[in-house]
Amino acid sequence: MDPSPNSQSGTALENGQADLAALLPERPRGALLRSVFREERLFLVLSVFIGIFSGLAVVCFRFAIDWCRIYLLGSGATLSPARLLLAPSLTGLVIALLVIHVFPLARGSGVNQTKAALYIYNGYIPLRTAIGKFITAALAIGSGHSLGPEDPSLQIGAGLASTLGRRMRLSRDRMRLIAPVGAAAGLAAAFNAPISAVLFVIEEVIGRWTAGILGSVVLSAISSVVVMRWFLGSESLFRIPAVQLERPSELIAYAILGVVGGFASVAFSSGIATLRPRLKALPRWTQYFQPAVAGLIIGVIAVLGAPQVMGAGYEYIDQAMHGQFTWQMLAVLAGLKIIATTLSFVSGTPGGMFAPTLFIGAMLGAAVGGAEHVFLPHLSGSPGTYALVGMGVLFAGFLRAPMTSVFMVLEVSGNYSIIVPVIVANTFAYLISRALQPTAIFDVLTRQDGLDLPSMEEQREESILRVEDAMQPPTGPVLDAEQPLENVLRQVEESPADNFLVRLHPSGWSHIGKQEIRTKVNEGKGAHTLRSVLPMRQLPFLHPDHPLDLALRYANQWPLVPVVSRADLQKLEGVISQRDILNRYRAFNEETGD
Amino acid sequence: MTAKERVQGLGLYLTREPVILALLSALAVLSFLAVGGLSRMYHAQQETLANRWFTRGTADLKDGHFDRAVGDFRAALRYSRDSYDYQLNLAQALIGLKRTDEAYAYLINLWEREPENGLVNLELARIAAQKGQTERALRYYHNAIYATWPGDSEVERRNTRLELIEYLLRINARTQAQSEMIALAANLGDDPSLHQRVGDLFLQAQDYEHALAEYRLTLKSDHRNPAALAGAGLAAFDLGRYSLAQRYLQVAVAANPEDTRSADLLKTTELVLQMDPFRRQISADQRNRIVIEAFATAGDRLKSCAATVKSSGSTSSESLEQSLADSWAKMQPKINERDLRRDPDFAEGAMDLVFEIERQTKAACGPPTGTDLALLLISKLHEGN
Repeated sequence: MDPSPNSQSGTALENGQADLAALLPERPRGALLRSVFREERLFLVLSVFIGIFSGLAVVCFRFAIDWCRIYLLGSGATLSPARLLLAPSLTGLVIALLVIHVFPLARGSGVNQTKAALYIYNGYIPLRTAIGKFITAALAIGSGHSLGPEDPSLQIGAGLASTLGRRMRLSRDRMRLIAPVGAAAGLAAAFNAPISAVLFVIEEVIGRWTAGILGSVVLSAISSVVVMRWFLGSESLFRIPAVQLERPSELIAYAILGVVGGFASVAFSSGIATLRPRLKALPRWTQYFQPAVAGLIIGVIAVLGAPQVMGAGYEYIDQAMHGQFTWQMLAVLAGLKIIATTLSFVSGTPGGMFAPTLFIGAMLGAAVGGAEHVFLPHLSGSPGTYALVGMGVLFAGFLRAPMTSVFMVLEVSGNYSIIVPVIVANTFAYLISRALQPTAIFDVLTRQDGLDLPSMEEQREESILRVEDAMQPPTGPVLDAEQPLENVLRQVEESPADNFLVRLHPSGWSHIGKQEIRTKVNEGKGAHTLRSVLPMRQLPFLHPDHPLDLALRYANQWPLVPVVSRADLQKLEGVISQRDILNRYRAFNEETGD
Repeated sequence: MTAKERVQGLGLYLTREPVILALLSALAVLSFLAVGGLSRMYHAQQETLANRWFTRGTADLKDGHFDRAVGDFRAALRYSRDSYDYQLNLAQALIGLKRTDEAYAYLINLWEREPENGLVNLELARIAAQKGQTERALRYYHNAIYATWPGDSEVERRNTRLELIEYLLRINARTQAQSEMIALAANLGDDPSLHQRVGDLFLQAQDYEHALAEYRLTLKSDHRNPAALAGAGLAAFDLGRYSLAQRYLQVAVAANPEDTRSADLLKTTELVLQMDPFRRQISADQRNRIVIEAFATAGDRLKSCAATVKSSGSTSSESLEQSLADSWAKMQPKINERDLRRDPDFAEGAMDLVFEIERQTKAACGPPTGTDLALLLISKLHEGN
């Protein structure tokens, strides 16, 4: 058996034995069924059902939003001022009542609530929350609040998944993972983009790549998208214009977009981060009126000439992509949408920030593209290309999901020639946003809510200590297992160390103490080889790139652990002991000031 | 087994995985059916709303209420985002509002979807023409001419070509316009109004021969068409076929006495015919009388022009006028019936001077009128002889 910590076979075998044991009891029929429906298989099947139900729920959610819009704001494109003012404000009152008295958990970000379910509540999301999110978000978005349907869809999916998981009496480990599976399904159906949904859930909700969950997330996302397309068609959210990049020098123009997008992201997230706790701190009775006041202000913005800021605004993203606004108007719309979304969100109105982020990004992108065309007419990129890149820029800068931001644009546009501009612009936006706003918006929101959930961004940038940072050169000689004990004793007597590593043949490592060798020689075994008298104990070994945490597991069992080269397991790179590890951790804490 | 145990047993049975999965499958099917019902309701409503707004938009577009039409079509598109017709109508309404950039954005998308659509190409051509993008405009016009059209495609293609010709004439691309007109004329059929319109276009392109031919084709089926008569008269006049012009113009003026342009042209034509001393079938005496009259007219024109030039202070024109005046004065004593009868060649020299005077005074003092104009036209008629 490979003693390297790389091997997980021990655990797998243990699991296998547990399953085997489950097959052996007295009732063979039940055992057979259990083997067929082993939990991991069941989980995969369940993921498909989660996808189907989430897809159906999201389809209904879309219908509900559209119906709310038609009945609250009217069916036309030009809306009456009275409706523009009254619909969002009066609906805001109703939403406040529902959120305060009936669905208290519907308030807030669905992403964070799903994350909390994963890390705190063992996957538990009440079905009531999903229902509440459905009703209140449909009312809010339909009445013109500047919010999007993706985040609620994500939470509806997670809520349904959690309910199904409870009904199936899944184990605690599976229950924890089921909410993200539902979240991916909900988001994929809302966004009609399964790859982006999977990436987002892994990047922002789960926070780590695990093979165990990936299959389920992908299955649920795909099945929900299939269901959604069954009922709503396979059209993407926007009509994608032709994308072109004729000269590499045009990347400078996209870099400028990245810089502008970075600053816009900071303005957007700072607005939310500053206003949200202040509004929450106001007396409780004001919470009945906060959504209504936000709605009224949005109505005023609409009456004053920018009705585009109301609702999710996908149709206007589409128009921006097809050059139907002047660049000045696009810039104004981006600014107004930041204000409108900030107001809607901080007032506690349920709804998501994905669509507004895309809206702001598209408007900003098309505005920057339009302005650049005025001053640099030779640029070949169409406003649509800039709008597409702009969406990715805000996604990277505001939501701080850099990988999702790139794949989202690729998936939505279906055009791989856009990848370089997207990466260039997103990198600038992400770096500026990180520099000026060190904590990502989702983490700010969780901390404001008094929770401490792991942040993938922080994990990504956390300094990892490795074995090579703590290992030391061996203090004594490395003994050869084939040498006679007398020779060995001569070598060890010259060394101040008490414990010595022994190189075994053909492979492996062991160790022996100075006193043990003396005893064996005194017993008259001086002519024997070291191997023949060595107790049967093989040391685990480490490699220099292993995390230091892993070394800690072995260092408390063994006085010395060899660190060997990955290319040659007989080549000793150093040794590590518990004391070395603790010293390194102490030094690290002093360096980082923790 | 008691009832309680049976219920407990059933409860346990219902928690088994296969049973739950079967139940989930059944629930999924039922949910699919329910959402399917909702979906049908939703889509039916969307369709109704789309149709309602489109109908309103079409009516508004027809009545020229472009602003309202834009709102209507936008609303229709909200419910049927990819509808080709809705987008096309919206683009037309936007063109009506002179929001050509927005219209262009819609049209170019439609063009990408259906590059062979005649109407889209035509609208794109119009926008390009408005923006002064000649090359692009010509490309779209030609696309439109060879594109597919709903309904009577021949008529649409012909109208597009007519529009293209008008555009070419506006930008002074006469040669290209003429080629298009010749192609158009070949497929006009018997419609006199079309021949007349093409005749007008040939006239604008200064292709008088083809213009006359088109007017003649018009008059073949519509003998008393005053516009065609006037056009034919004008074309014949410009071709220097004054007798023919006179015939057409006489009938045109008789048919439409209010046509002052044709009446003026007729007067000039008649003067040309009267004042031409080189025309056939006139006696020597009659020719001499015409020469005497023409010489006197040219002298008067020279004097009045000299006075104008003097007041304007143009020295170069003044010296030229002076040399012509000297020549005229030198020749004047010999311009009488007796001397002309004695030396018939002298008449030609006199007329050469008359023509020279008319040409030079036109250059110095502007286009002549009346008899002077007639003399100038006669000079052109006999140029090179």
